[in-house]
Amino acid sequence: MARAAKTYKVTIQNKATAIDCGASQTVLEAAIAAGIDYPYACATGNCGTCISKLEAGKISLLPRGDAALSPEQAKAGQTLACRARPRSDLAITWLGRGRR
Amino acid sequence: MAVTTADRRARACASLLRHVRAITDKEGITPSALHALKLKLVALANRTELFPLSDFAMPVAQGRNHPLLVEENDGYGLYLTINMPGKEAAPHDHGIWCVNAAISGRERHIFYRRTDNAAVAGRAEVIQVGEVIVAPGNGMAMADHDVHATEVVGSEPAIGLALYGYALARFPAVVWYHPAFGSTRASPSRRHAA
Repeated sequence: MARAAKTYKVTIQNKATAIDCGASQTVLEAAIAAGIDYPYACATGNCGTCISKLEAGKISLLPRGDAALSPEQAKAGQTLACRARPRSDLAITWLGRGRR
Repeated sequence: MAVTTADRRARACASLLRHVRAITDKEGITPSALHALKLKLVALANRTELFPLSDFAMPVAQGRNHPLLVEENDGYGLYLTINMPGKEAAPHDHGIWCVNAAISGRERHIFYRRTDNAAVAGRAEVIQVGEVIVAPGNGMAMADHDVHATEVVGSEPAIGLALYGYALARFPAVVWYHPAFGSTRASPSRRHAA
């Protein structure tokens, strides 16, 4: 029998809302699927528009450009929602606001 | 004093930009001019001895650009780019022309065309219209508002040269397209920041 994909709870602090995020989904993908207007532009780790503060929990990061997330930002607990996959339940706050 | 690789590289890059200027001053940015620029850039990328990896830091993460020569007065920008396996970029329109050529490794460029009428802010539809693998010995060229996505192919870093109509630090807004979401978003212009 196929095992159900692991799902985590991700709390988007800006919206005070918790959403489900699969282990193979990014936080941004899950937020968009849940109808949350999360800020983003490239969605592939190049521009930094979705820069966010990881308040709690563990993530793994997909490949990204150096300019999108500096080592100092990462050290300060910041991450890219478009590259972050949950490895535990998370709490996250977006820091910027993209434009359409 | 001995001539170093950095000296030879700087001369070669300056020579390239002189040729590029001669072409674009005469023809403008036309398809044939972009093709000519691509051939010039491929010829420079083929001179791999000018671009030893020991002269260029690898990315801290998976992608990094090293300026080789940026013209004054809001001119062209020439970069060495290093992208690691798995590095990707969603479909996007730089708002400015660009030419790429590979030094080593392989990068897939997938070209798109927008098909909606831009009537709804934040919404867009694009379809794939072409694809090229940029590998040693070849390159690709794009006009001002062409749309492409990129992804590194295989297990080797994709290292190449990229020539843009503006320096990266003075890029116009980049418009990104997300077929999976049916959306479009823009990262801000740097034209007023630099």
